Amino acid sequence: MNAPDRYERFVVPEGVAKVSYERDTKIINAASFTIEREDHTIGNIVRMQLHRDENVLFAGYKLPHPLKYKIIIRIHTTSQSSPMQAYNQAINDLDKELDHLKNAFEAELARHSGSQSRQY
Amino acid sequence: MEGVSYQRFPKIKIREVRDDFMKFELRETDSSIANALRRVMIAEVPTIAIDLVEIEVNSSVLNDEFIAHRLGLIPLTSERAMGMRFSRDCDACDGDGQCEYCSVEFHLRAKCINDQTLDVTSKDLYSSDHTVVPVDFSDSSSGFDNSENKGIIIVKLRRGQELILRAIARKGIGKDHAKWSPAATVTFMYEPDIYINEELMESLTPDEKREFVESSPTPVFKFDENTNQAYTYDEEVIKKAESMGKPGLVEIRAKEDCFIFTVESTGAIKASQLVLNAIDVLKQKLDAVRLSADTVEADEQFGELGAHMRGG
Repeated sequence: MNAPDRYERFVVPEGVAKVSYERDTKIINAASFTIEREDHTIGNIVRMQLHRDENVLFAGYKLPHPLKYKIIIRIHTTSQSSPMQAYNQAINDLDKELDHLKNAFEAELARHSGSQSRQY
Repeated sequence: MEGVSYQRFPKIKIREVRDDFMKFELRETDSSIANALRRVMIAEVPTIAIDLVEIEVNSSVLNDEFIAHRLGLIPLTSERAMGMRFSRDCDACDGDGQCEYCSVEFHLRAKCINDQTLDVTSKDLYSSDHTVVPVDFSDSSSGFDNSENKGIIIVKLRRGQELILRAIARKGIGKDHAKWSPAATVTFMYEPDIYINEELMESLTPDEKREFVESSPTPVFKFDENTNQAYTYDEEVIKKAESMGKPGLVEIRAKEDCFIFTVESTGAIKASQLVLNAIDVLKQKLDAVRLSADTVEADEQFGELGAHMRGG
């Protein structure tokens, strides 16, 4: 009765921004990013990538409620960087890593099927 | 701006590839990427499945919605799916879901006329697009016993019973309904590092060594040699070592950055294509989540402090 529709898990409704952020009033260089209609898939990889950044002091994500489909990523950085910069950097790095993964996979597939056909 | 990149450089090695099955190793990346790939393969790679069914005549023993449910679960070859639009995003038909860009039409007519039970199968579904058809499960390589592959049975009809329907298949993802999931199972495990303490090994008699080798359920060790194969490590070997009075003979640890993936597809998409599509979908999701120039900073009023005050 109270369960939301299944498509709510990934369809962003009109007027709602996919990503928004709020700076923390009490701590400098800290912000919380709210991402609508996403889950652990994105949350975890962004968080683990942020951990690799030396300028990031704190990075964590949470799903405030399992039936409200959004995640909140909280980032604290040193004064050398800003949370927005760290966030963008993390996403860019992940994008490049996935590009690299895709190329490696395609190359390996070609190599594997090439060597297989030679066997016959 | 930052010039430093904290990118990782993952490596892949394929162990086995078949049409619907694939086993490969993924190295030098984090478990979060491996898990994200797994989650995307199961829930977010798009496929095509029957979504709307108009039944004209149904005098079979199963009721209308039962048959519609079964039709939805039939896997359809979905090579086209990545390029198709979602019905809700289609501007050609106002999201109605009936146009050729975002949907595929099927029809089925079956009537049983003789005394023999008629099996209405997925092979009786006729598609308007020859690239989107119910998956054919006949294995061409194994010739024995597969003389006639009948397809997935939808319903059985007795003499006089009839079934006429029209079905529309649309693009969707597993998150919406499991019928759109292209993966049968996707699993990954860590590659184990097996350390054999050589000194302790020396102190065993040949008989004890043989017992030890045989105690492991999957043949991992050869007598007088160690081989390190894909071993779903259980505790048997370690327990045996302890029971023989020599704890610490074998140590099995998981290598933290090496994953062995096993991907089985339902046949809607080839297993190798499934992995490639998963990587593409994951990139699309990351793109959608970027901070753009017009990502407006939320107003102070709606900030964390404000939410606290309102009890949010």
